[in-house]
Amino acid sequence: MGKRCVILAAALALLALCSGCVRPTPPEEFFQLTPQSVADRAIQTRMFETADATELLSASAAVLQDLGFEVEEGVRELGFLRAAKERSAREYGQDITRVVVWILTIPLIMGNSLPVLIPVDLHQKIAATLVARPINPDATRYEVRITFYRVVWKGEGLAGRDAIPPGGQWMEMIREPKIYQQFFAKLSKAVFLEAFTL
Amino acid sequence: MFEMRTVRQILIAAALLGQGCTPQPGEELLAPSVAQLRLRSVQSRTFDVHDRMLALRGVIAALQDLGFSVERAEEPLGLVTAARFAEPNFYDVVRVTVTVRPVTEGRILIRVTAIYNNKPIEDPKIYQNFFATVERSLFVSRN
Repeated sequence: MGKRCVILAAALALLALCSGCVRPTPPEEFFQLTPQSVADRAIQTRMFETADATELLSASAAVLQDLGFEVEEGVRELGFLRAAKERSAREYGQDITRVVVWILTIPLIMGNSLPVLIPVDLHQKIAATLVARPINPDATRYEVRITFYRVVWKGEGLAGRDAIPPGGQWMEMIREPKIYQQFFAKLSKAVFLEAFTL
Repeated sequence: MFEMRTVRQILIAAALLGQGCTPQPGEELLAPSVAQLRLRSVQSRTFDVHDRMLALRGVIAALQDLGFSVERAEEPLGLVTAARFAEPNFYDVVRVTVTVRPVTEGRILIRVTAIYNNKPIEDPKIYQNFFATVERSLFVSRN
């Protein structure tokens, strides 16, 4: 019995040692363009026939304001804007799933464990990065690319006897074409120009 | 009783060994090492571009193509910082800092440092991928 105990402790120690040093590393094909990046680019980009970069950028900032964003940074020389807005991320569907899973896992109490409580999305920050750059040598045609992201913060949960602390985070790029269409429709109205794609 | 003591000794030894993984700042903290010099050459590349602004805009477009959220862009310094989660793995964060500097007439040096969860990326292939994207972006913007 004692010997087995020693072997078990040694194995656990080795495991703890290994897991402490191993960190996830990015795969080799990291930073490579994928067909998805080409598709993203297409929905996020429009061209405008104008030589007035300042007007294009200030109109973009105004549209973002109209959409409830707070412009956090702007660099005129580079035609760059960064904006964000914070909203609740609560969805009833997630709460219903949480309750259903909790009820279904109640029998776990018999196995000296606790029912599972899935963390739900609580809060989100929607961020936008906008860049306007000239695409011909005379700078009479500009390309505007905007990318929307959302960062979501999760609430607390319970898995077995382990509590999941609140504040878990994840981020995704928003890929809904409608959202981008709405933005560019407002922008072309603001600069009195038609937005076009290549 | 003897076994219990052995168990305890092994556990303490493991805990001490585990602490070995925590880096301690030493005297050589800021001194350049061979590995660092190699990493620097992997992270840098010069491009035949006359206009520094064009190179800077190309870098920003490449970062957008790669799904990054550009956090800061500083024109006079030629500095861009960006970040994103390593989709589809939502728990890992990637941050990059890019500097764009003219070296000689008509040549621009682009240096990128990428951090994956607080650990620098050292794989040369990943930096090659990055520069391929920048090159493509510069080429597209020139036409």
